Parts: sequence; C-alpha cells; structure tokens
Amino acid sequence: MKIFPENVSVYGDDIDFLFWLITIVAGLATLIVLFLVIYPVLTRKKHKAKENIYVKGEGFKQLKWIYLAIFVMAVADFSFLIIESDGWIKTQETLPEKDFHVAIVGKQWLWEIIYPGPDGKLYTSDDVKKFNTMIVPQDAVIHMDLTAYDVLHSVFIPHARFKFDCLPGRKITRWVEFTKSGEYPMVCAEMCGVGHSRMVGKVVVLPQEKFEKELAKIYKK
Amino acid sequence: MNTTSLSKIAWNRIPQARFAMWTLIAGEFVIFGGLIVVYLLNRMKYPGWGEMAMHTNVVAGTINTFVLLTSSFFVVKAHEAAVKKNVEKVKFWIWLTILCALIFLGIKAYEYTHEIHLGFTLSSPALLEQGKHVETLYWALYYTMTGLHGLHVVGGALALFFVMRNVAKTKSYFHRIEAAGLYWHMVDIIWIFLFPLIYLIH
Amino acid sequence: MSTTHENKGFWHRFFFSLDHKDIGLQYLITTMFIAFFAGIFAMVFRIHLAFPDYHIPLFGIIDAKEYNILVTNHGLIMVLWLSMGILLATAGNYLIPTMLGTDDMAFPKLNKLSYWFFLLSVIILIISFFLPQKGFGGGWTLYPPLSVGDFGYNTPYKTFSDRFFSSNTFVLLAIALEFVALLMGGINFMVTLFNKRAKGMGLLQVPLLVWMIVIASILFMFSVGPLVAGTFMLLLDINAGTGFYDASRGGDPLLWEHLFWFFGHPEVYVILLPGLGILAEVITTNARKTLFGYKFILVLVLIATVLSLMVWAHHQFVAGVDPRAATVFGILTIIISLPFAGVILSFLATLWKSNLRLTLPMKWAMSAIVLFTILGGFTGLHLGAALFDMYAHDTSFVVAHFHYTLIPVVIFAGMAGFYHWFNKFSGRELNQFLGNLHFWLTFIFFNGFGIPLFLLGLAGQPRRYAGYDHIPYLSEGYLPLLREIATISAVILVLSQFIFIFNFIWSVYKGKKVTSNNPWQSTTLEWQTSSPPPHGNFEVYPVVYHGPYEYNRPGVDKDFLPQNQKI
Repeated sequence: MKIFPENVSVYGDDIDFLFWLITIVAGLATLIVLFLVIYPVLTRKKHKAKENIYVKGEGFKQLKWIYLAIFVMAVADFSFLIIESDGWIKTQETLPEKDFHVAIVGKQWLWEIIYPGPDGKLYTSDDVKKFNTMIVPQDAVIHMDLTAYDVLHSVFIPHARFKFDCLPGRKITRWVEFTKSGEYPMVCAEMCGVGHSRMVGKVVVLPQEKFEKELAKIYKK
Repeated sequence: MNTTSLSKIAWNRIPQARFAMWTLIAGEFVIFGGLIVVYLLNRMKYPGWGEMAMHTNVVAGTINTFVLLTSSFFVVKAHEAAVKKNVEKVKFWIWLTILCALIFLGIKAYEYTHEIHLGFTLSSPALLEQGKHVETLYWALYYTMTGLHGLHVVGGALALFFVMRNVAKTKSYFHRIEAAGLYWHMVDIIWIFLFPLIYLIH
Repeated sequence: MSTTHENKGFWHRFFFSLDHKDIGLQYLITTMFIAFFAGIFAMVFRIHLAFPDYHIPLFGIIDAKEYNILVTNHGLIMVLWLSMGILLATAGNYLIPTMLGTDDMAFPKLNKLSYWFFLLSVIILIISFFLPQKGFGGGWTLYPPLSVGDFGYNTPYKTFSDRFFSSNTFVLLAIALEFVALLMGGINFMVTLFNKRAKGMGLLQVPLLVWMIVIASILFMFSVGPLVAGTFMLLLDINAGTGFYDASRGGDPLLWEHLFWFFGHPEVYVILLPGLGILAEVITTNARKTLFGYKFILVLVLIATVLSLMVWAHHQFVAGVDPRAATVFGILTIIISLPFAGVILSFLATLWKSNLRLTLPMKWAMSAIVLFTILGGFTGLHLGAALFDMYAHDTSFVVAHFHYTLIPVVIFAGMAGFYHWFNKFSGRELNQFLGNLHFWLTFIFFNGFGIPLFLLGLAGQPRRYAGYDHIPYLSEGYLPLLREIATISAVILVLSQFIFIFNFIWSVYKGKKVTSNNPWQSTTLEWQTSSPPPHGNFEVYPVVYHGPYEYNRPGVDKDFLPQNQKI
C-alpha cells in the first residue's frame, strides 16, 4: 500500500520527506497527548488530598512544564521550517536555467498548452497551441508560464508534487523536472465551475530523442 | 420579580450608549480601512489614476469638508445643550447639523451629475471605449467610497433626527444625543481621510 | 420591557420576545433548521462521490452543477451560519447574562434586531435556491471571477434584473446581513460583559466562556470589516459592471482572496475560542478541579488573537503571492500554533490528578480535545509547511484537516455544552442512553469519514470534484474503497444526528423533570438559580465572592464553592 503517488520529479523526495518527518514528530506528541488524556481517566477517584489538586496554574513554577512543552514544540516547528525552507526556495524562489519553455493556460474547462514553435521562443507568431496533453522532455528543466483566460485554475501534477494557481491577468513562471518518462495526470485544483472535475489533462514525459521527434510532429501539423 | 435588588447592583460602569457607539465606530473604521487600503495599493500601481483624479471637483470637495467640519461643531453644541437638558437648544443645533448634511449631499449630488455627464460612472463604458481599462477602476472605487460614505451621512442624519424627536417628545434620553453625535463625528473623520486621498493627490 | 414572568404565546416567544433566553432559543432553532439542510447536502454529495450511479431519494442522480451547489452551500452554511450561530449567538445569548448574574443583555432591543437580521439572512439564503441558477455553486470561498459570472450554468446575465435576481447576488446579500447580525450581537456581548456583571464580580472572576465569546466577537469585528467592503465591491462587480476583480480592467482576483482570508483565518478562531470556553467550563466541572492557568489562558488567547490577523496568506501559498511573503506567513503560522498548544496543555493539566467524572458532556469534551489536537492541530503543521502545502493544497487532505478542526470544536465541544446546559435551560433531563448512543456513533463515524480523506488527499485527490471515477490514478488500488468508507461513515454520521434531534425534542416535552438546580455541582452563577431560570434570571441577584472555578478548595467542606457563596 503506497501513500503517495510514485514520485517522478527532482524535488518530490523533499516533499515526501518533509511529510514523514512532521508525521513522526507529531506522532510522538500524539502519544504524549493520549497519555495525558487516558491516564487521568484510568486513575480517577484516587486523589484525596485537596491541597494536592487545588493548583491554580499561576507563576513560573507551576507553569514550567507547559513552558517546556511550548519550547520543545517551538524548536520542532522551527526545525521543520528551516528544513522546508531549502525546498521552498529551490522550487519557488529560484528558476534554474531552462531546457524547455512552455505556457499553460487554464480555460473553462481544458488546458491550453502553448509550445514555443520552431524558433524556440514563446509568444511569437509561430507558437503552437495544443489542448490537454503536454509533452515534455525527461531530465530537463521545464519552465511553465501559468496563466488563465477566464477564472482561477490551478495546475496540479500529483506525481511531480507540483501545484500552482493560474490567474487571469498574471503570468507566473514555475519550473519542474521529471526524472522518469511516462504519462502523468495533470488536473485542475481550483474550483472553476461546472466542468471543474472534467478538467483533466496529462503530461507525457519522453526521453530527449523521442521528445524531439514528437515535438517536430506537432510543429509540422 | 425582585427589581429592587437589581437596581442596587453597581452596573453602569461605563456609559452604555457611548461604549456601544465606540465599538460600532471601530467596526466602521475597519470597513473603510479596507477600502482605503485597496485604493492606496491601486493608486501606487497605476500612475494613470492621477489623471483621473484631476477630474474631481476640488472646490466642491473643499466646501463639503468645511460643511462637515461645521456640522461637527453644531453637534458638539447640541451635546452641550443635552448635558444641560435644554430641549429647545438641542433641537436647534441638531436641525442645523441636519441642514449641513443636506447641503453636503446636495453638493455631492451636483458633483456626481457633473462627473456622470463627463462619462465617468461606476462602470465607465465611455472610458472602456477609449481603451482606458485601468482608469475605470478609479471611478468604480471613487463611487464606492464616496457612495458608502454618503450612505453613512444619510444614516447619521436620520439617527440624529430620530434621537432628537424622541428627546423632544419624552424630555429624557439625553445621553443618546451624545451617542448619535459620536457617530456623526465618525462620518466626519472618515471624510477627512477620503478628501485628500480622492481629491488632492494628483 | 416587562419585568413580570408571564406565560407568553407562540408568536410573542418566537418573534417578539426581548428575553435573551428566548432569543437564544430562536438562534438555536434557526441554525439547527438551516444546518439540517447542510447535513443533507453533505450526505447527498458524498453518496454521489462513492456511488455515482445510485439513485438518491428526492435528489436522483445529481450532475456536476448540482454537485457544486450542494458542496458550496454545505460549506457556507456550516462555517458561517451553523458554527457562528451556535457558538457565538446561541451560547452567547443563553450563557452570558446568566453566567454574569444579571437579568438580560445590555441592549435587549438590539439583540432582538440582531436575530431578525440573522433570520432575514437565512431567508435570503433559502431564496437563492429558487432563482434561475438553483443556488450558488462557485465554492464557499466565492473566488471571483467565477462568482461574478454565471459559472458555466448557461444562464447568461443579460439585464440588470438577471444579475440582481441571481443566486450570486442573494448569497452575498445573505452573507452581508449575517455579518451585520453578528456585529450587533458582538457589540451587545461586549457591553454586557463590561457593564452588567454581578456585584463583586471582577473582570478576572468572569467565567472563561464569557471572555472567549467576547474576544471572539471583537476579533470578528476587526477581521470582517475589509470583507464587508470586499463583498460590497463584489456585489457591484456582479450588478453594476465595475471591475474590481476583473484583471482585464486593472482589478485583481487575488484582492478578494486577501480580503476573504483576512477574515477567513480569524474566523477559525472566532469559532474556536467559544469552543475552548465551553471546554473549560465542562472540564473544570467534571474534573472537580480549578481551571489550571486561567490568566495564562487569557494571555495566550489574546496573543493568538492579535497574531491571527497576520497569518491569512497561508491559505494562498500557491495562489500567486510572492514566495518570499509565504516564508513570513509560514513563520507566523507556526508561531500561532504555540499559544493554542499552551491552552490545550492547560486543559490537560486540569485533568491531571483529578477525580474526574466521566459524564456524557465530559466524554464529548475529552474527545473534542483529542481530535482537535491530534488530527486537526498536528495536520496543521503539515499544511503550515509551505513546501508540503504545495502538494496538499486543495486536496482532500485539506478537507480532512479543516473538518478535524471545525467538527471537534463545533459539534463535539458544542454538544458538550449542549448536554451540559440542557437541563438548566429546559428544566428537564436528556435521555442518557440516546445521548451515549449519539456520542459513540458520532465519534466512530466521524473518524471513519475523516481518516480516509487524509489518505485520499495524500494520494493526490483534488477537492470539489464531482466524481473521480473517470480519472485513472484516482480510481485504482484502495482509493475507491476509501471513498466508500468515507461516504458510508459520513452518511451514518449525519443520520446519527437525528438521534440527537429526537432526544432534544422528546426531552423538552417528555423528559424527566430535574430534581436539582445544580445537578453537576458546578460553581458558576447560572447554576445558582432555578431550572429553567425565570424571566430576569434570578430571584435575588447574586453577589460574587470568588473566581469561577473553586473546586476542591482546601478549607471548604464540599468539593465545590459557588461564586456567590461566602466561605
């Protein structure tokens, strides 16, 4: 039984690792919380001395365990943050040198894929538009210009652990690099109307040579 | 019901109407605050808005500012009279305040008709035809902000009117003049924020 | 206001009464009425997801458009009407004056007006189902440009009346009116707390629940303002042809997201705080211990309240905001989890070494803490990490996460409060057997519904889809089975709430009359009057000598010391 879909992108492992890290730490905290709830239930009716249990929780001495717990939690939280910030900067704040450039335009209810055309540049007259199927090379940095015509959409490629919103009026560039060839779904993750659930495209990842052949075929038509 | 023991409780710790009014005013400021932030962000983003702001009538705006400031003075006088429980004076000053509100609305209506005449409306189709897309947003916000403020002027004047009528009829409830007056000051202060933002920055 | 205790007719009691208890009952019935439909909606669209070919009674086989309407209105009603209607309005109306030992709210007429606005908002929301669009279906977050247009319904807006008499306009009007209602209620709560406390009751002797409701009302007031302006602009976009959210005219769809979540995140705490307040009351009473860290909790909550106004963009990590801003919001999100950890730990410290009574309200309260902390709170850490959020955003993982934050607070803590205070305000006892049955069914099948959703989300299932069977990667392996488990559990979860409704109605008329005014042996003032309290609440207005949670105090014979009793 696998929890995540198979990872096929260069940064997918970082994301899966982050999930398991937080889950394990939170799991330990879960055990503590469960103990703190269940133990009093099991030992109820046993405490007799009133002085012992009349504790108002004022002052550092009485609150020290809570301060300690909050401190430990803060340390854990900030370690998560430091660990994830590497991946966040890699995926969101930096754009590695591109090998292939493509534009994805969300539209009710299909994906419009714009290839740069023979000149290799986007937004020129020889651009080629295709729908719903995006072919990309394997082991190459792919820049995606994300935008939308009508309403908000969101490109979600689960196997690549990639998601980003497409907004009308904005062109946002994000990147992805596939490590394995194959066909992967590309779905819409932002409510976009009646056809939202039918807005399913696919990414076809091909080895470099095969990809160039396929691309040439697209350009020829 | 044992009402005597209730009255012994020391419960009017803060004048109730004043406290509630301050709370309401805080809420209103957040609403206008949201609009003003939206306006400022767009203003910085679109230099074309300066040109649109030139079309506003600065003279009318300035007069209106003075009208509202004067009305605030009248409300203060009405409050003074209310403290002395002088019904006639309260009525006199509140009527003057309401007169100011009417003058304000009249001038505003004159401005609106002038601007609509030039083709600047909520959706400004005339500007759209000229290809000035971003500029339509200026007028949309202009009408939203001044319109919402205008509604508050109407609301404030109505509140003053009904409170005054009630005070005149019952010769009590004088503290309500203060609460309604506080609301009126808020309407005034919001205008003080809107006036430079909309009329003066080009 | 009449001060005599009179037997009032139906119309007087349910429409014109100024008594806070009657208004509380009006809120309770109205919210339960509208939540009933939201629950049915949930059942219908869950069935559609797992068994798309099943012919649902009364609904038939729903299509994508109807699916969107059901999901949208389920979310809107549950978050805006049920949660705030129960935890702020109902709890606030019933409990604030009685807990403060006073006769009524500071402004009974304003209170009445607030309910009328609330009722009007519900009526307008219901009307929105009978307009040409048959209901609003653009997602409960109402993101424009989708919410401006006809969202693909093929009912193009040609004239002004098409636009005005559309579900979009009516839903927005309903929301705006509901905000007005709760703002008025909030002003009332605040003034009542500061002005109408019983004699001798200091601000730090006020039961925590009252503080929590008032803080929540203040937070609501400060967070909702920009959204009121935003709603106004969205209404103009729909009806007057402005372009505030239209990118082609210089507007910005992201603006709505900011305004919405600037309210939307504090909204979570607006709901959470009264829930925590109820937990504090129920836990101290049943643990027979004084609340651990009353002032500490108050300080933590105030810190969290201020912070909550600065974390909204963590809902938009991948929505197009600057990724560097996401880092800042990520840090603030992490920081805001700490005060709440402190509050929960204080509750757990209250349980520690206690002679607790495992009563029905206590079962609800303890399971609320466990579920909220473990599955609601800790998965918040996952989502607060922006990198993982890139994967989990807008998947079922998020759906499961917020159901695990809201349901423990609204349903579990709400039910804890209901079972705790029912006998006080009805003068009768609830049936214990049905109560236990309701609790266990809710507990088991809520988890049966939530845990599969986490797994589905991790498998990459996007939310708000009207069916997944046509998508290969979501219809293989154990995923369809998980959806079926979630669906069956959700259906039983909703149906088991009928046990509660039956128990409620039956007990109101036929339940055993209470034998004691203070069956839980509680210390706060509402228990020191008769059940139900008379008009005006107290025969003799109490004078307060202690803080609210004096249980097992050394030097006192009994294990509890009411606030109005001298040692």
